[in-house]
Amino acid sequence: MNSLFYALPFVMVAVLIIMGLYTVLFKRNLIKMIMGVAIIQNGVNLFLVSLAYREGYVAPIWTSAPDVDMVLPTPHALTLTSIVIGVATTALMLSFVIMLKKHYGTTDSHETRRCKE
Amino acid sequence: MSLDLVNASPAFILGIPLLFAFLTPLADRISKELRDAVFMIGLLLTVLFVAVMSYEVFTAEGWAYVFGAEETGEITRFSFFRIMFVADGFAALATITVAITALGAGIYSFAFMEGQTGMEKFYTLFLLTLAGVNGMILTADLFNLFVWFEVTSIASCGLVAFINYKGKSVEAALKYMFISVIGGLFLLLSIGLLYGEYGILNYFAIAESVNGGVVDRVALSIILVVLGMKASSVPMHMWAPDVYTESPGAVTPFIAITSLGSLFVLFRILFVVFRYSVSTAALGGLLIILGLLSMFVGVSMALKQSDVKRLIAYLSVSQIGYMLLAVGVGFSTLENGDYATFGALALEGGFFHMINDGVYKALLFLSAAAIVYSTGTRNLNKLGGLAHRMPYTTMFFLIGGLSIAGIPPLSGFSSKLLIYKSIYLYHPILAIIALVVSIITFALIGKVFYNAFLGPDLGLSKGEVPTTMLLAMGILTAVVVVFSLFPNYVVAEIVVPAVEALGVTA
Amino acid sequence: MIDIILKDMWSPIAFILVLVLTALVAYMFYSLGNPAYKRTKHKGEPFISGNAPPKDVRLIHVGGDNVFWGFTHALRKYLDPLVKGHTGILNDYVYWMVITMALVLIYVYILI
Repeated sequence: MNSLFYALPFVMVAVLIIMGLYTVLFKRNLIKMIMGVAIIQNGVNLFLVSLAYREGYVAPIWTSAPDVDMVLPTPHALTLTSIVIGVATTALMLSFVIMLKKHYGTTDSHETRRCKE
Repeated sequence: MSLDLVNASPAFILGIPLLFAFLTPLADRISKELRDAVFMIGLLLTVLFVAVMSYEVFTAEGWAYVFGAEETGEITRFSFFRIMFVADGFAALATITVAITALGAGIYSFAFMEGQTGMEKFYTLFLLTLAGVNGMILTADLFNLFVWFEVTSIASCGLVAFINYKGKSVEAALKYMFISVIGGLFLLLSIGLLYGEYGILNYFAIAESVNGGVVDRVALSIILVVLGMKASSVPMHMWAPDVYTESPGAVTPFIAITSLGSLFVLFRILFVVFRYSVSTAALGGLLIILGLLSMFVGVSMALKQSDVKRLIAYLSVSQIGYMLLAVGVGFSTLENGDYATFGALALEGGFFHMINDGVYKALLFLSAAAIVYSTGTRNLNKLGGLAHRMPYTTMFFLIGGLSIAGIPPLSGFSSKLLIYKSIYLYHPILAIIALVVSIITFALIGKVFYNAFLGPDLGLSKGEVPTTMLLAMGILTAVVVVFSLFPNYVVAEIVVPAVEALGVTA
Repeated sequence: MIDIILKDMWSPIAFILVLVLTALVAYMFYSLGNPAYKRTKHKGEPFISGNAPPKDVRLIHVGGDNVFWGFTHALRKYLDPLVKGHTGILNDYVYWMVITMALVLIYVYILI
């Protein structure tokens, strides 16, 4: 039971990534596809945070910390960086979609394919 | 403690472009000339530090630069928890390739992008891409790799969409961005897997403990596919023709160099991190399969193209295949006794082909951009007779084209000869396929040359392109000619240290 | 001397020397020719079964998709599905990456 409880975040990670991939692969609306990317992003971030978690450990802040073990600090730093990068990439992709909509008049991925072959 | 410029040169290779990237918008407030000057100074300083680092590597030996270390040059057990940059022969080879192309593309941009608004942002994106690619190459830290991967993706996508004509370049940029972001997320996932297992992110520290278990295999496959995607290997190559075609002509070689940089990173990770825990014969076989697919599909698709930049884009996909093939052969011989007989030769050929390919591909893309600049069309059905009005561009294209086709005495032939010789010993059929692809490449270069430059003057061209553009192409041509005339010297001085830096010995 | 030139696999310098020598020999034969020969005014015009070449220069230049038409036409059973496979749809780009990842995963799991 206990091990199942700790496996739960990783199950959630798998669910999120598969949901995101499904959206990216089978939805035709570009905005929805970007939402799929954001879902994958959250799944990966959750994965990193779950890696760091240890039961009963405290947050890794050294200033006036109690004398107990801390959770791993690196994945938290990684997650923060990854979230920031995620915001930048999502914003850039959405702005591309806005410009695409202006020029092509559609956000359907099957219509926006003037570069092909 | 005095600042040791030579020791810290890997940090400067990143720091200078990052600083100047954000100086150009400030300089633009004062005057346009100052902005251009600031950009050029930033580019030249970066090239200078690449030269300093490479000179130190070639004359003395490589070193690891650790950020925030108490003592420069000293590796302690804490060094592996800090961000580490590796300045060795391999990094020197890769950064030289990037620097030459960046110099060509940077000088070319002045005249090509004239009249565009927002040029300070263009320079910012350009220098950020430069920093990103060099960061990917130099870093020895997996998470740092991810950060530079994303910096490169974001900045180069901005460059691709910079000149927006009827939305096609935005479409290409969106596709590139989308697939890069998904690739980057998978890369992060595999980095998380490795971190979860070993608790460290440094290549060398992971390499000591990596055991080839299930997690390692999953991480290895994901890293291989993601960096292979970024390197535009078939079947993940489909973004490449779109992006290379629709991006502004001046930066197309620079976008192409990001994919070459990813290939460098892939090889470094394979050789440094995973080499001891996997069957190199099987993994080399995988690289060979990817390489053969890239070579063949790339050149086949190029046969059907009537757009000059798209045709060269597919040719560049097929050139990536040569490198994957050669390095795959070299990698697969690491375990058995064949490394001394032909494995080292294959690696030398592959790496020599990478630096050659970076330069002549840049030359080809720039001369294709000169065609677009002068005539306003990329369609081979409409082009013709440009040699009457553009003699220099014709010459530059011919040199680049003969080099990519592997015609002696040009540099492409030297590296391809090494590849043929080594892969023939691995399996003759591979050499035959490589030769056939090379012949079709020659035919296609002949097609472009005949279509665009030969024939009666159709009056399409406005005349020769401006001097700075000719200068940029001239620099690249000079590099191709030097590599052509002294291949033995280049191999001995630049390529062999790169092979040795990966820690392979017979 | 030869040792220095041909030290490694091949020498571009020697290759260029041979090229120059060949050109010299060719020029020697060329200069043996009859200097009284006069160039005709038709030099450089295309020969189209003896008909006069068209006035419009566009019709002289055969280019674009017509070059290697026979080759690509003969290979159409191989090339057409390949071209059709490059759909340009964004979903397919991701699809190929995921499929390759799955195949590589299987390959790596079984063989390595």
